[in-house]
Formats: sequence, structure tokens, C-alpha cells
Amino acid sequence: MMYRMESHPAEWIVRSAPLVFTFEGREVRGYEGDTISSALAGAGLPFLARSFKYHRPRSILSFANHDSNLLFQVDGVPNVRGDVVPLRAGMQVTAVNTFGGLAADKARILDRLARFLPVGFYYKAFHSRRHFPRWERLFRAITGLGVVSLDAPRQSTPKRYAFCDVLVIGAGRSGLAAALAASEAGAAVTLVDEGARPGGASAGSTGIQELVDAVQGAPRIQVLTGTEAAACYADLWVALVDNTRLTKMRARAVVLATGVIEQPAVFRNNDLPGVMLASAARSLVLRHRVAPGRRVVIVAANLEAYETCMILVAQGVSVAAIVDLRPERDADPQEPAVQDCASHGIELLRGSAPYAAVAGSDGVVAGLDVAPFDVVNGADAARVRRLECDAVLMSIGWAAAAQLLYHAGGRTRFDDGLQQFIPEEVPDGMFVAGRVNGVFEPQGRLADGRRAGLLAAAHAGFGSAAAVPAVVPRSGRRPSHAFPIVDHPQAKNFVDFDEDLQVRDLENAVQEGFDSSELLKRYSTVGMGPSQGKHSHLNALRVLARARRLGPGELGLTTARPMYHPVPIKLLAGRSFHVERRTPVDADHAAQGAVWMPAGNWRRPEYYARAGESREQSIAAEVAAVRSSLGLIDVGTLGKIEIYGPQAGLFLDRAYTGRFSDLRVGMTRYGLMVDESGVVVDDGVVARLAPEAYYFTTTTGGSATVFRELLRLNALWGLDCALVNVTGHRAGFNFAGPRSREVLQSLCDIDLGEAAFPYLGVREARVAGVPARLMRVGFVGELGYEIHVAAGSACAVWRALLAAGQPHGIRPFGVEAQRVLRLEKGHLIVGQDTDGLTDPLEANAAWAVSMKKPYFVGQRSLRILKARGPRQLLVGIEIDDPARIPRECHLVIQDGDIAGRVTSIVRSATLGKAIGLAMVVPALAATGTRLTIRGDGGEPIAAAVVPTPFYDPRGERQKAPGAA
Amino acid sequence: MKILVCPLNGPRPVSEFAYGGSVRASPDPGSCTDAEWSDYVFNRAGSPGIKREWWCHIASGYWFIVERDTLRDVVLATFPADAARKGFIPPVPAP
Amino acid sequence: MPYRLLRFGLSRKHPEPPMFRRHAALRGSYDAVIIGAGGHGLASAYYLARDHGMRNVAVLEKGYIGGGNTGRNTTIIRSNYLTPEGVKFYDESVRLWQDLSEDFDLNLFYSTRGHFTLAHTDAAMRTMRWRAEVNKHFGVRSEAVDADFVKRMIPMIDITCAHHAPIVGALYHAPGAIARHDAVAWGYGRGADRRGVEIHQQTEVTGIRTQGGKVAGVETSRGFIATPKVLCAVAGYTPRILDMVGLRTPIYIHPLQAMVSEPVKPWLDPIIVSGSLHVYVSQTARGELVMGASLDPYELHQARSTLDFVEGLSAHMLDMFPFLGEVKINRQWAGLADMTPDFAPIMGVTPLEGFYLDAGWGTWGFKATPVCGKTMSHTVATGRNHPLIEGFTIDRFSRYMLTGEKGAASVGH
Repeated sequence: MMYRMESHPAEWIVRSAPLVFTFEGREVRGYEGDTISSALAGAGLPFLARSFKYHRPRSILSFANHDSNLLFQVDGVPNVRGDVVPLRAGMQVTAVNTFGGLAADKARILDRLARFLPVGFYYKAFHSRRHFPRWERLFRAITGLGVVSLDAPRQSTPKRYAFCDVLVIGAGRSGLAAALAASEAGAAVTLVDEGARPGGASAGSTGIQELVDAVQGAPRIQVLTGTEAAACYADLWVALVDNTRLTKMRARAVVLATGVIEQPAVFRNNDLPGVMLASAARSLVLRHRVAPGRRVVIVAANLEAYETCMILVAQGVSVAAIVDLRPERDADPQEPAVQDCASHGIELLRGSAPYAAVAGSDGVVAGLDVAPFDVVNGADAARVRRLECDAVLMSIGWAAAAQLLYHAGGRTRFDDGLQQFIPEEVPDGMFVAGRVNGVFEPQGRLADGRRAGLLAAAHAGFGSAAAVPAVVPRSGRRPSHAFPIVDHPQAKNFVDFDEDLQVRDLENAVQEGFDSSELLKRYSTVGMGPSQGKHSHLNALRVLARARRLGPGELGLTTARPMYHPVPIKLLAGRSFHVERRTPVDADHAAQGAVWMPAGNWRRPEYYARAGESREQSIAAEVAAVRSSLGLIDVGTLGKIEIYGPQAGLFLDRAYTGRFSDLRVGMTRYGLMVDESGVVVDDGVVARLAPEAYYFTTTTGGSATVFRELLRLNALWGLDCALVNVTGHRAGFNFAGPRSREVLQSLCDIDLGEAAFPYLGVREARVAGVPARLMRVGFVGELGYEIHVAAGSACAVWRALLAAGQPHGIRPFGVEAQRVLRLEKGHLIVGQDTDGLTDPLEANAAWAVSMKKPYFVGQRSLRILKARGPRQLLVGIEIDDPARIPRECHLVIQDGDIAGRVTSIVRSATLGKAIGLAMVVPALAATGTRLTIRGDGGEPIAAAVVPTPFYDPRGERQKAPGAA
Repeated sequence: MKILVCPLNGPRPVSEFAYGGSVRASPDPGSCTDAEWSDYVFNRAGSPGIKREWWCHIASGYWFIVERDTLRDVVLATFPADAARKGFIPPVPAP
Repeated sequence: MPYRLLRFGLSRKHPEPPMFRRHAALRGSYDAVIIGAGGHGLASAYYLARDHGMRNVAVLEKGYIGGGNTGRNTTIIRSNYLTPEGVKFYDESVRLWQDLSEDFDLNLFYSTRGHFTLAHTDAAMRTMRWRAEVNKHFGVRSEAVDADFVKRMIPMIDITCAHHAPIVGALYHAPGAIARHDAVAWGYGRGADRRGVEIHQQTEVTGIRTQGGKVAGVETSRGFIATPKVLCAVAGYTPRILDMVGLRTPIYIHPLQAMVSEPVKPWLDPIIVSGSLHVYVSQTARGELVMGASLDPYELHQARSTLDFVEGLSAHMLDMFPFLGEVKINRQWAGLADMTPDFAPIMGVTPLEGFYLDAGWGTWGFKATPVCGKTMSHTVATGRNHPLIEGFTIDRFSRYMLTGEKGAASVGH
């Protein structure tokens, strides 16, 4: 059982600052400087969690965020990593995924049923079509770890951008050396480490403190602790994550000194509380003064096991035995650390393996059965001997922490000597150093770090790569055991602690045909848990390799992908900016009671609410005002583009379907744009201001893309013209109604008489003293003027127009009234009455296409489409009974088949009818054809095809109405 | 994110650019067959390789041509837009 | 009760045979060769063997079974498409899906959850209604629903989406489902393997030989195979195979990314898609949130991940579900989407006799796995397009007869 030892000067905890928190509803004490796990362990709790599948009791394994044995629910936050999250007073901590609490977890019965639940068992049963939904509910209830709090508030955390010459990831021995070397060469260095303090796994070892001091005193090294490099993306773009924010780091060069991840030995009950990695015990003892147990046994296969043993002994931990998997000749018998252990009375067994750990009555390990062992024959079960202990530490080897290398597209190869994957192909600008590079000796790690730091600095433009030694020799000895896996007939020898996978689970998966690394992973789920295989992929590969009789290098690991450790969504989301564009008159609209609607990324008034009026009444009143007298609408969201130059007209001729090079100066014309395949993409009005100057509009939603495409065409054709996007520079209003001319004249300095300013003309003038462009366009089917002014003057003009219109009952009108008015004229809306495949012939817009031009975008396709014939045609419709009208997109049905759909519909007060537009099959397009539309609930609605425009078919009101 | 070197603005994050597809040579619409025309409009050379592409630096409205290895996502060179003038370009009518 | 599990406890040796055999060698010839052992290729092999008596078939896979897009998609199955061709096609797929686990005797975790395509604008709502009407016409259960319905069924959603893009309604599709994607490949693979089809992994096609305008055989990394029929079902690698036979299509390849969270206890029942926010999300039986967004914006034949993808998707997830901030993203990945201009696939016979194409699956391929297998097997066996795929022919582009599915693909563009 773990326990808290007495003070030590180098401890990280603050004894004078005890912290009280609750775990599973009971009060527990720890200290400032503890993590949640270390506090719980120090308090002597036998086990701290239940495993995912079998609900076996679990405690600390890696203490380094490399396993997910210890995920907790803390103050409503799910899946908190207890091993590394600092303890705070008052925390309310519970275990995840238990039923009835940690101690009495009802699901622990699953452990007893384990032999009925082998790998992939859920694929083999539960799948009757009738019963699966019930089973699935059960599965969903018992899988999943922490609980999401549905009422947690949104957290907005700012992100940060950072830049450096050399980013060193990992502040262990080689990382520190790399940072120093790079900064000495003149580079600006950022050194990051996920640990709370620099030093990495070597913290506390000889020489580390001097390195740390040197780094902290160096002028150009920024040290970021508690900061994980979660992912490495293209062009050395690295996501750095600490517990408050995401920092997006752009480095000129990157040194990966990420080290190695200690691996567990695989033997029966290797998951018992009290069985942990030696590095976990080391950190627990040195930092938190928590001893792994009172009688410790170490399972070893490298020199580091003995060094760790001596460190623990020096700290006051009692070690009874070291069980070395290696035969004596390979077990470093001459090394001082080994001899120290022997001289301390620790029993040294060689060529021995743990056969099974044995639990005591409290669930914590109470003994370790060991047996003679060799890689070929395994463990000799006939000669098992029990060692009494209450803690088993595993120091049998490591796996490279090369995940970031894989993210960046690098490759590794398996080194049989080292029993580790080492870098083979490293992306440009990235350099690997230290144990992740296969260099294990302390002096070698320093040299390797220095080498990488100098190369990185040179890559970033500081110093020269010439004088740097190319390669530092890798370890001569073997730090990792080739097969630290002990078979047992009763299994429970875990390879993956996240997923509760035993050796035979993987062998069974291979038997079932899942015999490559990828297939094995996907079928067995090895490495798919929250720790993404950090301590399971390598042993799983060894099991697979044995089953396939191939080397691990031939089979390879599965790819690592971002993130290295999981990253909270809130840090990735950041503050989430939303752009909304507003016209200059926005505040006036609000003051007038505008009810907003989105239009692209703008907001526009749908209508203006007035006291005593319903929405329908307001809209009807706005429509009536325009038809009978006067209305004003803000159309400033339209795209507005100017084009200048001797070939401006030619450019427009090519980009649009109509002809504009023959447009008279001072006149406008409708512009329809199609794409290369002949599909309608945008429309607007084109005005010719001068022989070499045009001003034209696009739809609100299309302005950015249309402008960009026009620029591209201009770049391609190289005509003598230039385009300017003035969308945001100019406001636009439409002043429409029979009184519009008379009222505008009172504000305008040019003659608005019919002769001086005919229908479709464009003039420059002053309105309310402000320079403006005026265009007489069809728009809503009344006499009207579109008025464009500089954005800065928009409010003044808007207010002047409204004031002048007051005596005439002017109403500002919004998008909905505009829709009604235009629909009464049969005008189409691109994107509503047309879809992604509609061409102008189908859209009743052939009149806007000038096929005789020598060339325009989409022309050739239109010839083909004309020959093919339309698949649908846009027609005007009138609903028989205005009391029962269809909705947009209700279908036209003919002989039981879909024959079209309603695209626009309105109950028109002006006309006293319900009218609209519909796309129908050509056979139904003739005027007078009877249509059946399927309405809500399948009810048939009768309608007829009628000609458009519905209102003022000859357009007399907009062209030259009678005297006002 | 990935950096693209704009000929006008220098190295910028790729999110500042709009991708305009591969540069494709148009047949002469006045004389080609329908099949040749629809092939130009719809079909693409979809395999990975070194391609010339239209890219636009959005804020400056600057279109240029990028030669990029579309398998490894490596930019080999950039050119001004007139490098895209291959195949049919509509002739300028006589005044 | 799952009595079948008893045999696991009661036998000493694991009582399961291999799902697919490893074959020592390729034969010199086969009656048909399928390129690609993903869901589509294996489904085609399965139905060829089961329904058309064609067992002398080899499926060639350059990687491992299901290692392409079958193993990378976000597993959403639905039939709420826009065009009659699409609706009929995907509806047949949903029908096949529902019996698939029983057909395979393998649990695919096919889980009907209900599917919402959220509309944030009136224009989007119009498209939802259009889809609902077409769906209903063909007997597919879809409804255009209002914001109140959305809030009732997904009470934890922020209906205002951070006041940025308020939800006005949705297309609700009750049959929407998710499934365990890898298992579909295994089920079809095992079924095909049992019936005599040979699946050859780590076998790359390097060329296709033709003679007199017909397919004559396939060059592979393990030798040449003579065959009169080749079915190409390789998704993101389609253009490379088509180059071998000189066929051109509109297919363009962009990466499509996805990400997954850590497992949490169940809180999200339905599948949620938002076109405006470019998000789709569902929760697996393991408790993980599987999330996706729009297609990457430029052509690339590399399934690489980007940071701006996870950033943007995370921000939009919090717009809809603001309480998710503490849930962690575990992993992100990508696949290669073979896109078409009309968001409909390219299936069936080609101008090269004996060469059949199943491609252009963009972001809509996984759900079609069963119906693709059924229709392509018919097509390969008879040499004529199955009626359900007549809207998806390779020559539709030259005839300017595109299928208008762009309004129904969840978020692709």
C-alpha cells in the first residue's frame, strides 16, 4: 500500500499548505504541490479507479499522463487526468464509469464474466434486429467514461500566436543541451515541457540541475513548463497547449527531444493496484514523498532499474528484490548500480520473470509469483516462487515518444539492438535528439542534444551546420527488453490498460484474421483508448510479431495522429469570432423597429415593426406604400464593382451573358452571369457612366466570389481594364413609388424629368447635397430610383429621403416587402428560383443572353444546352384558392410523379390573388396548364400556369407613369 | 498552418488564399466538338502530380499561378497569371 | 440473452475461425477482379458471389482491408437526399443496412438515432422542405420541422448558436443511423471469403491491360492476372486507376478531415448536421463524439490533418453545444474524398468494355455501401447498369445531364 513519507528538502509538495478535498464523498487530505493521484495515493487509498471493461480495481501506473487508469470526474468536469492535474482545495472528485461508487461498483461482476467477453465479443452477439436497440442502450450506459455537465457555461479562452527560431520540445537532458547550443549560436529558442518543472524524466539526476540553471540564465531561451506540444503540422506549425490556452507556434526549426515512454511488463494481474512503472514510483517518491509500498519488488530488464532502485533506497523506500528478465550475463553484473543493490541486501534474481501478481484482501498487490524465464521458452510455471511485497515496479524498457515526428510525416525503422523504433526519415527543419533518437547514455544525450540544437539553429539561419558532428552513436547496451511478455493460462496479463486487453485477446484477434497492426488495432481496439497506445502499441506489436513469426520492424506500428494528449475543445475553439456586416444605416433601421434577418454575412431588415401592426400587416403596409405612394429600402448589401479602361466593355461582354460594349453612356442594363457550364450564378445591373467606365452590382451573397472570379478572368485575359470592389465603400437605397420622382426632385440638383432621365438611365447628381449615382431600374415595378452614395454620407441621405417622403406617407420597407413586390413582377431570385443546375433558358431569362457575341463565359455550353432542351422551365403560377396556398418547395405532382416544385409564392394584396413561380417539366409549362401541387399533409392544391409579370405586365408604371 | 509564398505579399498562411483549381487549357469553343467542350468543362486530370494552379491572395485580390506537387503538398514555383494563358484565349475583336 | 457468448467461456481454445484467409499466391486468371477491398469493393464481391454465382473473383487491396475511406468516415447513414435518383438509391441502401448484421451474423452496431439537418436561414429551410417533400413522395420518412421541434428533441442545443446563426428549423429524418464502419468491411469480406472470393491484401494494381477495346487483365505487384471484368472501387485513388485505362472523369480529390473526442457517458442521441456551421456530430456506442466539417479547400492526395480544421470545428461545436468545452479531442485524421461536380457518384459501365467504375463518392459513400454492392454486382455480372444507378452514369456530364444533389450533401462544399 502506498503511503506518505516524511519531509525531504527536494520535495515539491508544501507541507505547510495542506489541502482538503473529497473523493467519492469522503474527505481526503493532501498538500499543495500534489496532483490528485499523488494525494490519494499518499492518503493510502488502496485503489482509485475501475477499469473500462472489466471494472477491475486500478491505481497509479505511469503517473505521467501516459495511461488513462486514473481519469476522474472533478467538479463536474469529465475525464480529468488525475496523475498530472494539480490538487486544489475543495475539489470534489469521483471515479468515472462506476455503478454505485468506486468501492461497491456493481459492474465489477464483469471481471468474473471475462472469459465470456473475449476480444470482439460484442461483434458476435446482440445483433438481432429486434433486440439490438435494447442491448445498445446497455452498451452506451456502460461504455463512456466521464459525464458531461449539460449546463456547464461556455468558456472562451483566448489563443496566442508565438514565433521562435528554434522550438525545443522536451526539457530533459538532451532538450536542455539542445536549447543551450541553439541559443549560443544566436537563435531565439523556446523550450517546452509538459512537466511542471524542467528536467523531464531525468529530473533529480546528476547534472540536470546545472543544465536547468544554465537554461534559465540564458538570454534567448524562453522556457514554457506545463506546456504540451500536442501536435506538429505542416511548415513547423506546432500546437502548444497548457491548462489555460492554445498557443500556435511557428518555428523555423524544431528539435524533438521528447524522450521515451516507459513500458509495462505483461504478466498476470499486472494491473493490480501497487503494480506501476518504475518511473512512476520515482516521481511519486521524489516529488510527493509517496512511497509505492513498504516492501517493493522491481521487475527489471535494464540498468536503469538498478539506478532507480538505489534512488528509492536513498529516499527511504525498502526494496526487497529485483527480478531481472535477462540472464545474468546480460544483466550488467559489473555495473556499480547493480553491485550497490547487491550490497544493500536486495535479492537479485536473473533470468526470472513475474509469472503473476497476487492480490491481498484489500485488492492491493500482496505478492509476486516469479519463475525462471527465457525469451524462447517463456516462464517455467513448475518452478514458481512467491515473493512477498506490496508494490511491484516495472523497469523493462521504453518506447520512443515519436508521435510528433509521425504527425509531421516522418518515418521510423525498428532497431533490433535497441528494441525501439528510431527516426529514419525526418522532415526538413526537424531534428531529433536523445532517447527518442536511440541515444541513452547521459553523455551521449548531451552531445546529441547539442548536435541537434546546432543543426536546428543553422537551419534557422544562425551559425553553421558544417562544424557539427553528424551522428552521435546510439546506445551500445539494450535498454529495452525484446519480449517482456509472460504467458499465463489464466490470462489477465494486460497489454492495454485503457481497453482491458490481454495477450490472448490479441492472439485471438490475429487468429480471426486481424493480423496486421492496423487490423489488429481496429478489431481489438488496442491503442484506441484515451492514451492512444502510448504503453500498449509496442507490446501489442510484439505479440503480433510472435504470432506472425515476423519481426516488429516488418509489421510496423500504426500511425500516430494529433493530439499527443487529448486537448479540451474549449482551448481549440478559443473565442470564436463571428463576422457580421452592417450597412451604414444600421442604427437607423434599429430605431425604426427593424426586425433583422441574415443575408449572407450581413444583417438586413426583414420588415419594420410598428405598434399595433402584426408582422403580416406591417409587410402589407410597406408593399402598399410602394405601390400607392412611396417606399425606401436599403440595398447597400449588394455587391458594387467599378470597372475602368478602354476594354472595360469588352470585359463585361465576355464575363456576362448580355452585351455591354454597346450600352449607351448614361444607360443601364440587366446583367446575368453564368459559369463555364452555363449555370446561372449571379445577376445585377450594369450602368455605363462613361465610355470607359462602368458601375455594376452583384447579389448580396455573391459579391465576394463574383469579384474574385472577375479578377481571375481579368488576369487570364489581360485586357486593358481594371476592377475595383466598392461594396463596402458605397451605400445604396431604392426610392420607389409613384411619388418618387416628384419627391426626389425636391432633393436633387438635376432634372429628373422623363426626357432628361429616362427609364433605365443612370445619372450622377447631388441628393440632399451629397454626390450620388442614380439609376432608374425595374426593381419593384414602380417608378423608382436606385441611389448610391459614399458610405459616410449614407445616413444623411437616408434621413433626408425619409423626411422628404413623410408628407406622402413614405414607409421604409424591408427584404420581405421587396420580395413580394418583385415577385408580383415575376422577377427571379438567383439561388431561390434557380438551383445549382438551372441555365438561363430554363429560368425564363434567355432574353438576357446575347448569343451573337463572339465569346462569353458559358456561351458554348449554352449552345449545347439549347440543343439538349430544358429539363425544367420557370413559369408563373396562380393558385385557385388564395385561402389555401402552398409553401415554397411544395411539389407539383403529375400522374403520380414529381413534375416540379413551387419556388416562390405570395398572397398578393395588390393583385388580390396568390401568385408565385414554379419550376415545372416542360410539358406543363404552357400558359393555362392546370397544375396540382402537393401541400402540407399531402393535400392537393390546384393552380394554373399564367404569364408573368403578374402586375403591370407592360411595365408602364416603372417606365413612364402618368403625371404624378 | 501551411505557408504559401505570395509573389506580392511574401509568406502568408494558406487561409489567406483562395484556391481556383488547376490551370486548364480551353479548346477553341468556336471550332471544337461538343465532346471536346464538355470534356473541358467537366473532366479533370485528377491524379496527383505537379500541377499549375490558380491561387488568389484574398485581401489583395491578387491572382497568380502556383506550381505545386499535389501529392506531397510542396510548392515548387509561383508565376504571374499570364503563365496561365495557354489553350484558347478569346481574341480581341477589331475596333 | 446472448447465449452465443457461452461458447467463449466453455472452450479452451478461442472458437473463432479467421474471417478472411491469406492466400499464398494469385492465380493466373479470375472471372472478375475488384480493385479495392473497402466497403464498396467487398460488398460487390459479396453480392457477386451470393446472388450472381460469381465466385472466381479476386479483390485486390494495396493496403489492408477497409483501410481507405471505409475506415475513416464519420459513419452516418441516411437517405434524405434531394433528387429522385438519389432518394431511391439511398433508401434501398437503408433497407439493406437494417438486415445486414443478421445477414452477416456480425454486429455492425447499426443504430437508428434520427438525423437532423439544421437550417439557420430561410433559404436553408426551403431546401429542407424540398428534400422532405421529395423524400415523402418516395416513402422515406423525413419532415421539415421548426425550431421548437428541434429544441424539444435536442434540449441541450443552443438554439441561437451563440446568437450568431439561430436555428430556424431542420430536416428531420427518423431513419438516420450510424454503424461501426470497420465492421462493415469485415462482414462483407468474411461473407465474400466464405463463398470462395479471394481477398489479396498488400497487393497493388500497377496497370490494366486491354485488347481490342476490352479489358484483358490486371498487372499487380505480385504478377499479372488475366480477367475480362474489372471493377474499380478505390475512392480517392480513382484517377490513378483511370489513368491506366485512359478514362477521364470530373473527379477531383480533396482531403476530408474528421476528429473524435474522448469517450463520455451518453448525452447525444440523434445525429446532428449543420450546413451553415459546417458541422456534423454523432455519439458512438463507445461514448465518443465523432465530428466532421467541410471538405478541405484545395486538391491534395495526402490524408494529412490541419490545426485550423480542429479549431474551426471546435468553435462551431461550442456554438451549438456550449457546455462541451471540457470534453477533449483525442484524435484527428483525414481521408481522400473523390468529389464530383453534382455531388452524385459515377457508377456502372464505361466506354471500355469489361471495365466498371464505382467512384465519385465524395463525402457520401459509406451509407451507400450495401446498395453499391448490390447494384455494382448486378452490373458486373450482367454487363448492364442496374436501374437504380442510371442517374449516375459516367457519360452524364458530356450530355449535360448532371444529377442535382448539391443541396443534399451534408456539408461537403
